[in-house]
Amino acid sequence: MSFGDQASLFPDGPNGLHLPELWLQQEGPEADVVVSTRMRLARNVEGFHFKSRFKEGESERLEAYLREVLLEAEPRFRYHSMPALSSTEREVMFERHLVSREHVGDEQPRGVAFAPDGRTSVMVNEEDHLRIQAFAPGFDLESVDQRVNALDDDVAGRVRYCFDARFGYRTSCPTNTGTGLRTSVMMHLPALALRPAGNTKGRDRDLVRMRNAAEELGLTVRGLFGESSRAEGDFFQISNQVTLGRSPAQTLQDVRELVKLVVEWERSNREAHLRDDPGRLDDHVWRAWGLLTHARRLSSSEALSHLSALRLGAQLDIFHEVRTPVIQSLMVNLRPAHLQLRAERELEPDERDELRARLIRDALGSSTR
Amino acid sequence: MVQSCDRCESPATVHLTEIRNGEKAESHLCEECARALHVPQPSKELQKLLESFSPGSGKQSSKPSATATCPDCGMSYAEFRQTGRFGCAKDYEIFGADLVKLLEKIHRSSTYTGKSPSGDRVEQGELIDAMRRARRRLESAIEAEDYEEAARLRDEIRRMNPGAEGDASQEGGA
Repeated sequence: MSFGDQASLFPDGPNGLHLPELWLQQEGPEADVVVSTRMRLARNVEGFHFKSRFKEGESERLEAYLREVLLEAEPRFRYHSMPALSSTEREVMFERHLVSREHVGDEQPRGVAFAPDGRTSVMVNEEDHLRIQAFAPGFDLESVDQRVNALDDDVAGRVRYCFDARFGYRTSCPTNTGTGLRTSVMMHLPALALRPAGNTKGRDRDLVRMRNAAEELGLTVRGLFGESSRAEGDFFQISNQVTLGRSPAQTLQDVRELVKLVVEWERSNREAHLRDDPGRLDDHVWRAWGLLTHARRLSSSEALSHLSALRLGAQLDIFHEVRTPVIQSLMVNLRPAHLQLRAERELEPDERDELRARLIRDALGSSTR
Repeated sequence: MVQSCDRCESPATVHLTEIRNGEKAESHLCEECARALHVPQPSKELQKLLESFSPGSGKQSSKPSATATCPDCGMSYAEFRQTGRFGCAKDYEIFGADLVKLLEKIHRSSTYTGKSPSGDRVEQGELIDAMRRARRRLESAIEAEDYEEAARLRDEIRRMNPGAEGDASQEGGA
């Protein structure tokens, strides 16, 4: 079967689990380089301790209270208490970016509310009482800014936030104190990460340049020098660190400037690769296609790195076998918990890799090969 | 003697005090076990910052917050330093000057700029930051004997805060 163009494998999964639409497969602004934009606000409510100091029964009361507040603020929201979900379902929530890694494994009463379109979600009782998040495909700071603040303002009319003019929003961790704002932009930078032919070691000059530019603006680039993230398909995340003394508007402006700069670098690197050695890029993309359409076992990271190559080929218009939305959808639907939810049981790693390889062959229309 | 972890033999680096049903329970864990139990831990960078702010390490006496414990949630500054997490919103007042210094180190500012829940704008932080930056540039201009630039910066600083030039440098002591 093919599921590349479906909104989701599981519009509503088994056991009453609601899953939102897969917005990630839609193309947004600057989709050739920018995968998605995310923004979150950390908020706490007066009259309750922070998570590290909850008294007996306090987290239950707070979750029930905030669940009600959120469903009143946004009647179309769906709400799941995390402990009521299986561990696979919680992992699926994480793979969909609806909740953080920490929210999956925690023991406390906690929950997640989200819009059916999956573009707005709120974690309850994560590190802070509320983590309000908005997402958009492509590079779209305006859209996430507008949605996250509209919901925040609505909630602010219903509860009393921990806030004062001196420190701003008081958060559980001092790295979020102030605006409680973290905005991150996920970028696909295969050409910046592609070392010149013959240079297998060496420093990645362009990646170093990008990190330095980020530091100057008080921003960070994740997945840059970490080994594991390097293998993860050349996806890099640019985000702000500073939440005090700098206004949200200034923060967004800084992020906007850096992202624009990096988009330009990536594009000019792609052009340079195409100009200097088109055969190399061609080979890179078609090798990935060959592997994905024939392999019988594929690990998550191997699949991701080859799908990354296909994405590059599709965006450069040198490869027409499959469109970007299908690739984006595969990147989410082939993660371990999504596979297990689909199989309706826990899978051994080898079984997962086999199922993943089969689904990729199906989606790429090569099941008979 | 080094305390060992409650769950394994490794040295304990995370020390927790919990009040459950009115009884105090202490636990000592190594980093690995603490992570397995999902005990919140500060990131490496935050940990480094927190350590550099151990009580009494600064030039000024930081006694008040070094021994300060929040009467509401029971969080002590020492424990906050270890976990990097506040226990309640009141800790922000209790931990006083040490906290202000820590925030300055993390954000290069300790004063908020942004919206308020009632929809007003709060702009102190950005102004203070701009003044601090201008002041730093002024110092280096004077050092470089660039008096033209220094005069320009002096006027810029005056315009930012008419009549109360000295205020911004003391704002950290609240």
